[in-house]
Amino acid sequence: MGWAAALHRLWSAAVTITSREQLAALVLPPLGELPGVRAVWGLRHAVHGDGVLAYRWQGVPLTGDLQSLVRELAAEVAGPAQVIELDGRLREHGVTRIVAARFDLPGEAPGTILVAVDGTADTGFVGACLSQVIEVTREAVRRLSVIRGEQEQQVRDALLAEASLQMDAVLDTEQTMYRVPRMAVPAIAEGCLVFVHTDGKPQLRSAVHVDMRRLDALLDDPAGVGRLAEPGEHTLELRARGRVIGLLVFLFDRPAERIPPATFLRDLAARAALAIDNSTLYEQRRREVMRMQQHLLPTRLPRTDGLELAAAYTVGDRVLEVGGDFYDVVVRDDGAVAAVIGDVCGRGVDAAALTGMARHTLTTLLQEGLSPARALTRLNARLRLDGSWRFITAAVALLRPDGDGYAVEWTSAGHPAPVIMRGGGGAHRATGGGVPLGILDVPRLGPSALRMAAGDTLVMFTDGLTESRDAQGRMFEQDGLARALGRLRDAPVQLLVDELTSSAEASDDIAVLAVRVRECRGQ
Amino acid sequence: MDSDLVLVAEDSDEDIEAIARALGRSHPDVRLEFLRSGTGVLPRLTAAGAVRPGLVLLDLNMPGESGLDVIRLIRARSELDGLRLVVFTSSENQAEAEACYAAGADSYLYKPINFALFQSVLAQTLDYWRSREPNVTRMVVPPPGESSAHA
Repeated sequence: MGWAAALHRLWSAAVTITSREQLAALVLPPLGELPGVRAVWGLRHAVHGDGVLAYRWQGVPLTGDLQSLVRELAAEVAGPAQVIELDGRLREHGVTRIVAARFDLPGEAPGTILVAVDGTADTGFVGACLSQVIEVTREAVRRLSVIRGEQEQQVRDALLAEASLQMDAVLDTEQTMYRVPRMAVPAIAEGCLVFVHTDGKPQLRSAVHVDMRRLDALLDDPAGVGRLAEPGEHTLELRARGRVIGLLVFLFDRPAERIPPATFLRDLAARAALAIDNSTLYEQRRREVMRMQQHLLPTRLPRTDGLELAAAYTVGDRVLEVGGDFYDVVVRDDGAVAAVIGDVCGRGVDAAALTGMARHTLTTLLQEGLSPARALTRLNARLRLDGSWRFITAAVALLRPDGDGYAVEWTSAGHPAPVIMRGGGGAHRATGGGVPLGILDVPRLGPSALRMAAGDTLVMFTDGLTESRDAQGRMFEQDGLARALGRLRDAPVQLLVDELTSSAEASDDIAVLAVRVRECRGQ
Repeated sequence: MDSDLVLVAEDSDEDIEAIARALGRSHPDVRLEFLRSGTGVLPRLTAAGAVRPGLVLLDLNMPGESGLDVIRLIRARSELDGLRLVVFTSSENQAEAEACYAAGADSYLYKPINFALFQSVLAQTLDYWRSREPNVTRMVVPPPGESSAHA
């Protein structure tokens, strides 16, 4: 094949390659075919400094000592083809002269091609051919650089889009902080660490590296981790709502030209900061809600001789406002025990205020000896007087010692019916009834009577329990409650309420209050 | 060892196609060998005369032996010391990452949905581990008489 045909083939192939790795296999062989050529060597230089990134060859392998010799020769080459006399240095390979040329492209690894020839070669012709090959090579590298630039832009766009999507999908701070570096590694950096300022000091909260062993070694050295949090080229502030909340540190182990632009890293850090800040605020708010909820409930239930009491409260998933469930138990002077449970409709500060008022009103009146019906009526009157549009479902169980058990007077104002679990086995729903308080001027109450023997348990709850739904959308009341009660038949009363509140998939708050008649009075 | 060979254990057809397309573009010199479950990985690596790949890319959730099982099996074999094990998964479970590392994985990578990102994750991982090989000078042009390296 003549040189013109070889060159034509080279140009056609050069526009199809997708990686610089393919270049040597393309451009070196045609030169190797020229008369008098013993070897063709290709060197890819580092963008900065005089290092060599890759050695390629056709003919005499470019290995061992030959690499350093050829590197020295290449250092003298600049620009167009030139002939280097070897003074016998490569005699053992039959090489007398080298024809070499170098190309440089801004931001790209430069390359040198050295054609080693014997005494028979026409160095003028070889030089002309080499110049043409250098031209093809330079064009191929330029084209690859353009394609790579476009691909990198695509990757960065995709990363920002995916990062926003992923980070917005979670409200858990730990998860958010883990997702940020996990998305970035290794697409844009070999390692990524998230520091969050706690008491003014950066604390490492998550770290990902493509090389897990290196990360482990890094994390084993606290001083080294501390140094990473110091200001540096690849240490970015996490800034959200005008505050610096932490740092995002990128670790690179790639050529400088493959490091993403600073503007992109800043953009990613800004999105990460917002996601982290959102999830932190969410958690803070949720903690406050749970704390406030605790203030609305009794810190402890009274001790009574004949009864075991237990209560549990669960704040619904993703709930950011205080709920209105309440319960309490008072022991009256006459020895009767009044257990109160209720639920103010709605959530938030107003509902919370009403919850506190309702609980205290009912317990105070019951403590003073008022009957449940009168206590509930007084609360209803108060709600009507205040002109509150909110209503309250509530119920009172008044338990009076009766032989070896208790007589229970259950008074309900639109509250879910309790469950009575018999000590000998079996459980059934008692009666509900009545209309929620705050609706009618004269309340309509649902009174009923129960008898509890030793070992029997009265389980009172709010509708968060019965109306919670499982993954299939079935309400807990349908069969989940019966199953849970069956399973917990012999459980201690505290375990019973804890398990009940956690076995339902709570979307709303759940309050459960249980009263069990001790097997043996006075113990 | 053949550093241009990557062994992939992956059961999803779409992921197999995507891995082949991604690495075919970024690393045309790399050859890929696919196994559709974890079960075949150890026998493939320990068979008499087997060529050791430069890297093993593992999906975590596969029928039969999972990616985690495969890591444990490989790390129990001293003759496979130093073999690079890369887990490629869409899971966001941090505990899983820790379990993989404890079992001896070298990398635990996020598997993105976007193809450009997917390609970049694989390419950068391969570049990283290849740059850590003791001998980074590789022959891309076979000397006359040897033809296998470029098949």
